[in-house]
Amino acid sequence: MADLTDASIPKFAAGCRWGGTTEAPVVLFPEGAIRVEGTGRIILELCDGHFSLAEIVQKLEAQFMLAPKGKIRADVETFLQQLHAKRIVDY
Amino acid sequence: MPNPLALIAEITHRCPLHCVYCSNPLELTSRNEELATADWLRIFAEAAALGVLHLHLTGGEPLARPDLAEMIEGARQSRLYTNLITSGVGLSRERLAQFVEAGLDHIQLSFQDSSGGPANWIAGARAHAHKLELAAWIREHQIREQQTGERRIAFTVNLVVHRQNIDHLEEMIAALEALHPDRMEIAHAQYYGWALQNRSALLPTRAQLDRAVAVVAAAEERLRGKVRIDMVVPDYHARFPKACMGGWGRQLLLIDPAGRALPCHAAGVIPGMFFDNVRDHPLAWIWQNSAAFQKFRGEAWMPEPCRSCERRQEDFGGCRCQAFLLTGDASATDPVCELAPLHHLIEDAVREHATAGPVPAAREASFHALQENTAGFWSYRTDPK
Repeated sequence: MADLTDASIPKFAAGCRWGGTTEAPVVLFPEGAIRVEGTGRIILELCDGHFSLAEIVQKLEAQFMLAPKGKIRADVETFLQQLHAKRIVDY
Repeated sequence: MPNPLALIAEITHRCPLHCVYCSNPLELTSRNEELATADWLRIFAEAAALGVLHLHLTGGEPLARPDLAEMIEGARQSRLYTNLITSGVGLSRERLAQFVEAGLDHIQLSFQDSSGGPANWIAGARAHAHKLELAAWIREHQIREQQTGERRIAFTVNLVVHRQNIDHLEEMIAALEALHPDRMEIAHAQYYGWALQNRSALLPTRAQLDRAVAVVAAAEERLRGKVRIDMVVPDYHARFPKACMGGWGRQLLLIDPAGRALPCHAAGVIPGMFFDNVRDHPLAWIWQNSAAFQKFRGEAWMPEPCRSCERRQEDFGGCRCQAFLLTGDASATDPVCELAPLHHLIEDAVREHATAGPVPAAREASFHALQENTAGFWSYRTDPK
């Protein structure tokens, strides 16, 4: 697996994109779809190729100010690594 | 009632390949019965409205339809995730570019083996060299799209595994990896249609399967994050049946080249079934009301031991077509299940057919030499009239 660092720019892997409806968005990928809600959706919306991991974490920390230090970064990393193993997100 | 998530569109049964494990029915639909472009575009729109997310364009060989680019474009306009399942034969560089332009999301290219001789022998056609050429063209699109930051098409290589190629799975995975796919589908042959006819040449032994499973697990580990590997296990060697199609009439529907709506690829083998046609009814009506879709939906049809089984919501009693093909009764528990009263039919088949030798496929032999030496070894899929 590729290393996920501050400078990594996570984005949808080949053949992965948004689908479904605005109320119930899904991520479509070869042979499957996942429904993403809440924080997962916020993270994935930032995976548009414009933001590095450090910037994504910064944005989330600004939005969720009460989260314990380091927790947001750990959660974002785990989430992106899981999607990377499924070839939904590349970085 | 849940809505369908995927539509399998068998847009033609014509195919330049003659693969011995083909999942098409033995009675193929002829060209003059095929639906028109406008029919398909209407079906795609109706499917999307019904909640379908994925469209699988398959056949036969879907490239045999000259209007395929138009269909891809129409499917994308209906917001469907569009997957082309192909042998690649009939796809030029220019036509591939048209499909990418039309919005194709995913292309799934089949391979029969890692080298030309045995691959062409299994396909009954000289197709392997062209597949390699096509893989390189797909790669060009991916690189270009990566550089420009555009949406990229996903590339899957599909390999059907059986006794004639299972012993060199490692070599096949390495050969396919070199084509830079995003995903590899390693599908053990399933015994319907042509594959059932050729079962005695295709069914692997337990020892072969165990080695293959270990090879795939090692490849998964090595390629994690690079190539996603999905394996379809051979149910003859499983303890419990597969959740065929995710349950009858629960997630998928298939439209055949003539417009008949089926709950699965093989449902036509079950006697007494009538399949409503998209020429006569809207897709939503068919999904909800067609007798064929209702036949094995839910649990009311289930015999014991399925009816009181804890696994009934996991595997839905297994495959109805396999139950019919092997027991003569489509309502029977899938004989793959170790709890099935007729499970011995599977054990007998494995004992009788899954024998290690003789494997005539000399790896270095040419297509011609293999065919000469193996006349009558298996029957090739024919082409519709």
